[in-house]
This record gives sequence, C-alpha cells and structure tokens, in this order.
Amino acid sequence: MSEVVLPVNVHDPIGFHARPVSQVVALVKASGLDVVIRRVGEEGVVANSPLKLLAMKVKTGETLEIVVPSDGAEAEALAASISETINQEAP
Amino acid sequence: MGAEIRGIGIGRAPGSGHVLKWVRAEGIDEHRKSSASVSQEREALVAGIAAGAKRVREQGSGGDEHTADIINALLMIIEDEELVSMAEPHLDAGWDAATALFLALDDLSGLMGDDEDFQSRVGDLRGIALTISASIRGIEGGSTIPQSGTWVVVADDLTPVDTAQFGPSVVGVVTELGGPTSHTAIICRSRGIPAVVSAKGALELRDGELVLVDPVGDRVVEGGELSDATTPISFVAINDEPLVTVRANIGSLDDAITAAATSARGVGLFRTEVLYLDQKVQPTRAQQATQFEEIFRAAPAGKITVRTIDAGSDKPVPFLPNGKEENPALGVRGFRLGLAHEDFQRDQLGAIQDAIDATGRDVQVMAPMISTVDEARAFAEMARGVGIASVGIMVETPAIVPMVPDLVGVVDFLSIGTNDLSQYLFAADRMHPSMGALVDPWQPGLIRTIAELLRHAKPAGLPVGVCGESAADPVFSIVLAGLGVDSVSVAAAAVESVLDALKSVDLSRAQDVAHAAQSASTPGEAREAASNCLKREEL
Repeated sequence: MSEVVLPVNVHDPIGFHARPVSQVVALVKASGLDVVIRRVGEEGVVANSPLKLLAMKVKTGETLEIVVPSDGAEAEALAASISETINQEAP
Repeated sequence: MGAEIRGIGIGRAPGSGHVLKWVRAEGIDEHRKSSASVSQEREALVAGIAAGAKRVREQGSGGDEHTADIINALLMIIEDEELVSMAEPHLDAGWDAATALFLALDDLSGLMGDDEDFQSRVGDLRGIALTISASIRGIEGGSTIPQSGTWVVVADDLTPVDTAQFGPSVVGVVTELGGPTSHTAIICRSRGIPAVVSAKGALELRDGELVLVDPVGDRVVEGGELSDATTPISFVAINDEPLVTVRANIGSLDDAITAAATSARGVGLFRTEVLYLDQKVQPTRAQQATQFEEIFRAAPAGKITVRTIDAGSDKPVPFLPNGKEENPALGVRGFRLGLAHEDFQRDQLGAIQDAIDATGRDVQVMAPMISTVDEARAFAEMARGVGIASVGIMVETPAIVPMVPDLVGVVDFLSIGTNDLSQYLFAADRMHPSMGALVDPWQPGLIRTIAELLRHAKPAGLPVGVCGESAADPVFSIVLAGLGVDSVSVAAAAVESVLDALKSVDLSRAQDVAHAAQSASTPGEAREAASNCLKREEL
C-alpha cells in the first residue's frame, strides 16, 4: 500500500504537548485516515487518540515521522499541515 | 483596611462584595464501590462523559480563541475512548463509574510525569471529572449563589459545574489554587469578573465579610472598598528620549522585521540557536553568514548584539551531540557547548564577522552562561581571533557577579539574562509550575544582585544591558534604569510600553524608585514600594 512518510523535527520548547496534539487529532479525524505518528524505527500510534499521542511524551529536539496511508497531493498536504501544527507554537 | 492576601490578578477592574465560601456538593468527589455490573458502570461512564462534556461546551469560551483551544484540548482528552479503556481496570476492581474516572485521571497524571503543560491542566481535567461525577451520581447543588446582593466566591478551585451557576450577583472570585490559564481564570476573564487566583490563605476568609478583589494589585483586601483598589499606572512623557536605550530581542528574520517596525534602537539580544535547532547537518560558514546577513540587514537601526549559540541537552542541536543529562540546566549548555564543539563555535563566530563585513552594521557579540574569568577569556580569544571588535558575556550565574572587576581588559560589555540569573540564584527551575514566586523578577535577592553587579561594573567602565523578560515590565524597567543599567532589551511587543515608562522619569526619580524596590524584603513589598514611589512622583 502506498503511503506518504514525512519526518518532522519537534522544536516547540515544551515538546509535542496538549494543544498541538488536540489540533493534530482534529486534522486526522477530519481526514478519516489512520494516520500514524511514530519515532523512527518504532511502531507509533494512530493519531486519533490524544492520550496515546501525549503518552509518547515527545520532547523538543526529537524527530517524528508522520505516516499518511494514502498518496497524491492531498496526502502530502495533510502530512505537511500536521507537521506545521506540531511546531505551530515553536518560536 | 484590613489584612491582604496576595495572588495573581485576572482582569483590570476591581470588585467589592461579601465572601461566599464555596461548599462542594457532598459525595461528589468521594470514592465509591459499585453494586451494579461492570458493563452497567461502563455505560454510565460513557453517558456521564457525554453529559459532562456537553455542559462544558454550553459554557463556551467567551469568544476568545486561545481559551477555545484550551477547552477543546481538554474535551478531546476527556472524550478520548482511550480514557474509558484506562478506567476499565478500576471498574473491574468494583469501583463505580465516577471513581474509575478519577482513578484513570490519576493514572494519566502519573504517566505524564513531569510534563508541565499537561500537569498545569490536570486541575481542569479533575474539574471536568467532578462535573461528570455530578451527572453520573445525580448530585446537584452544593453552594447556591443568591440572585441578589454582591458576592465574592472563595474556593480552593472552581469547576465548570461551579462556574455554570455564576450570575450578576457574583462580583469577584478568589481561589487558593489555579494559575492565569486555569478554568477559573478563563471563565472570569471571559465574563469580566474580577478575580485573584493562586491566593494562598484565601480559605481563611470568613463567610460574609466584606472584601475587595483588586486584580491590578494582585491582591484581596479584607474590609477594602473600591476606592482602595490599585489603579494602573499611566506614564506621562517628560522627555523625548528614554532614560536608557531600549532595544529589541529577536531570534529570526521574521522577528527582525517585526522589531524594525517598532521604535526599538537596535537589537539587545539576537538568539542565534533558533537558526540551528532544526538543522540535521552543520551548516557551512557561508550558509550561516548568508542567514546572519539577511537578519542584520532587516534589524532595526542601531547596535546589534548577537549571542552565540545557547543550546544544551534540553534544547538539543541535532549536529552537536551532547549525551543525556540528569540536570540539563546544570550541564553542558550555553558557551560550555561552544567549548565542547570548538570548530563549530569558531565557524559561527567567523560567519558573524563575514556578515558584519558584508553589511557594515555595528555588531557586538556575546557568549551565554559564562561563570568564570577563564571562560570569558576563552570566548574573547576565539571571538577576537576571527576579527570581532566588541566582545561581551551574559551574566546568568551568580558566580560571575563578584568577578566583574577581573573582566576589565577581557571583555567590552556585559548583558544580564535575568531569567537564568533568577533560576541559578534561587535554585528554582523557571519552567516549574510551582516555582513562579521564586523566579519573580521583583525578588529583592535578584534586585540586590543586579545592584551589586553594577557597583562592580561602573568603576570598571563596563557597559551593562539587561535582556531578560523582566525588563518588559515597564515599572521594572524604571528600576533597572535607576540601578544604573545602560540599556534594556525586550520583545518587540513590549518596546513601546517600556519606552513610554522610560520617557516618563528622569534619573533621580528612577534612582528613588530603584532604591525603594531594593530596600524591600519581599517581592510584594518591592513591587508596591516601586509603584507607590512612581505615583508620588506623578503629583
């Protein structure tokens, strides 16, 4: 199955925290896709649960991968907007 | 006026009324075993969550976007199916739906450990859980607020189920717990109810006594009347130029452009680490120079003070590996990282000099986290080695303060980072939610340390700037000018208000204000003494 994988470096000083997490979940739910967020080499979690994402305890400086199980411009745009949301509060 | 209780004020207008001590409905928060089946309790939990969330949504956010974001984030966590899964083991153990929810939140809080952003919201999540518990257990009531009269609600903290009752008879709110972004603060701000949160001792107030809620003064006054409320200080310019130079803090090209639109004269702190945090490989000297050049060209007219990379294991730069540390704040950070990666540090300094040559801007360069004369020498040698003419250090550790006389001939200027200086003076993590009172810039321990530094720096002829957040408080900027600093540097958003303050006083008045603040024994007294002194001067 085709998928889009986009790496993102978290540079929000308090990591991937409650507010961006909830906005990412909103994006993922709206897309209807089982988007996965994972650390490189790990299984990761389906990003429709804020608790599962918060429990990853992602700190600033870590690199994550956004995996959108689809292809084409739309999938890429979704990955890009998730990446942007993760760092939207970064200085 | 009677005794006063200090806290964090929410809102601008004061309120005066009778204390109504909040009593929570009996049984709402107790742990109960269930006699129903696990599946019945599970259903009750799911239905209770839906009902509780609906109630929170109905209260709304008062139209504030930031508040709406916080409420949405909280509801998303409460409505996450995963939370019900976390409650299941507790249901299996025989607890009722509400108890299982409380226990699941305890588990979650334990799991999140020291995540400050999450911990600052746990109180709000528990508040929503109480709302859900009320719905599950069919409990309503607790305190009821009379529709007439003027009441100041006093509680440990308030939940959505509590604040839902607020009507026009509530003229003030005082809570022992909570911070400026807690549920109570949000609701009060959106409804224009004066409040003081984080007011330790509030529960000692007696039911029915008259109190003044004075948010501008960050206090509650027993027996106080509206006319006793603190009025916000308004600054009237007496000079065209500020008492000391006001510069802007920047970290990126965007910041430089924003700062150039203000009246800031130059840049007092250019945080360079922002350029590196998302770089996987070390940028070349030429690449760095191009970035510096762009930013130098965009920066507001005047002197630009560049700070070399200030990173560490809490703010890691991918291409400068720096192992995990038990205490990042006390580890390899600031210039210590530059020393550990000397090639990179020389490259960065070289790139800065290249950009100076290309733009002709007046630029000085300083290193963060210098605590010994040797470190200052090492940095000065590196910087002068690539041709940088004006070299300085940040004063962020108490150890360098008494050593300032020995820095003559080593460096050309000093810049105080009050945030870190507070953190290291008081051994208090400045990001820790309970340490706010210790890292308050009005702590006389900090003010007197700055005064001591200036006593050493003045005869040595070393100019001193302040680039910490403290300078963004207009009254505190007057204290700093009165103590003798030569410049302050603040975020672009604070430039105009600090300029207004520094145009409203002459040196001798600023010195009086600084003297008043410095003579105080507590931060509250220092703040009050400084603003009283300023008001006297206004007459």
